[in-house]
Amino acid sequence: MIVPVLVSVADDRLGDLSVVVDGLRDAGLRVGEVLAAAGVVTGTVDSDRISTLSTVPGVADVEPQQSFGLAPPDSPVQ
Amino acid sequence: MTSAQSGTTGRYLVLLEDDWSGATRELNRVAGIRAVDSAQAGLAQPLWEAEGLVLRELGVALVSANPDQLTSLTAAVDQPGPIALVEPERYVQAIAAPTEKATEVDETTFTWGLQAVGAPHSAVTGAGVRVAVLDTGLDLTHPDLAGRTITSKSFVEGEEVQDGHGHGTHCVGTSCGPRRPASGPGYGVAYEAEIYAGKVLSNAGSGADGGILAGIAWAIQNGCRVVSMSLGAAVRPGQPYSRTYERVASRALARGTLIIAAAGNESDRAHGGIAPVGHPANCPSILAVGAVDVREKIADFSSATVDAVGAVDIVGPGVDVYSSWPLPTRYRRISGTSMATPHAAGIAALIAQSTGASGYELWARLAQTARRLKLPSTDVGSGMVQAP
Repeated sequence: MIVPVLVSVADDRLGDLSVVVDGLRDAGLRVGEVLAAAGVVTGTVDSDRISTLSTVPGVADVEPQQSFGLAPPDSPVQ
Repeated sequence: MTSAQSGTTGRYLVLLEDDWSGATRELNRVAGIRAVDSAQAGLAQPLWEAEGLVLRELGVALVSANPDQLTSLTAAVDQPGPIALVEPERYVQAIAAPTEKATEVDETTFTWGLQAVGAPHSAVTGAGVRVAVLDTGLDLTHPDLAGRTITSKSFVEGEEVQDGHGHGTHCVGTSCGPRRPASGPGYGVAYEAEIYAGKVLSNAGSGADGGILAGIAWAIQNGCRVVSMSLGAAVRPGQPYSRTYERVASRALARGTLIIAAAGNESDRAHGGIAPVGHPANCPSILAVGAVDVREKIADFSSATVDAVGAVDIVGPGVDVYSSWPLPTRYRRISGTSMATPHAAGIAALIAQSTGASGYELWARLAQTARRLKLPSTDVGSGMVQAP
């Protein structure tokens, strides 16, 4: 199953983010966006490869993406 | 002994100058008060028996004084010597349940929310401060925002910034909208702030972490002092916060960007349900905002501090909040911690303008200046946000 993930890059590797991103691609991440200002790479990965992503040098954390939903526009509480 | 004014004991507190040595002698010389020095007396003589007691550790004397003595003491304030200030001693009370106050607030000129946060009396406007509102976008044609500096970007695939839901337009209105619209009450806190409207939730009101983090990165890159996020996802008690958001929020603070997020609407207090602060407001480095109503009671739906981490940090007006809505509706009145959050974000912008504070310092000033409420800190944190 393909799941959307957030990859958080370690502080001391933000300087060579592209190297970390290359490593993530090699480990199976289909890179969505590289958010340099946040130090986060988004993308999708096969669920059985999530643990592989966390072993890529420079990766601090890998988490599944969560989704959000607002109440409908006509709801009194939003 | 003079009769006590309402709430005062009839005794007086005398503030002493830093160099207060000789205070007991001076109180006797000036007003004939025989005061005891707490250090010398060792507090052996009870407080209520002495005419005066010099509290050495505090640099304060507590004295009984008749009207003539009071006149003498007050005159001594302006003379050289240790007496710096004289004020009536007040009764203090244990915190009790808040008394009911009138529900009806006149909203002819300003919404009850603006009044509750003290915005109408503030001299600052948010001018020069960039506020990012990450939400369902904004009605860019709304007449109340005509002439304002607005930067916008959509992070939702296939959708323009134009708000097809309404939630985002309402939140931008509260944080940055006008004080004197063409009709109806003023409803915007930081009414001259620069608006950064990031669309991270679709017109159907849905979104995901990726888009939200992209919006945060955009706000950081653009030097936004404040990021207002009226969004969240429910969490279970004990569920850990997102390490990714925590790291991002911590980096944002270090770069001078404060992220403010809604605590969540998951409680059902009328039926005993108290829900924990949602994701991502439960991250320690994100300021979580709960909601109170016009009586300054906690909103029925407002999520609370349940776990050791994931606290409600502050509250804002979040019930029956009047603000802008996409045309042709123009205005709507809705409730939620989503409505409390932009009040806090607007106040943050005012504080940023008036003090130059950013990041953790801005957080500290928001918390420090919040008006304390007689409600549990687990519901309201340090209290109601207040304009500088």
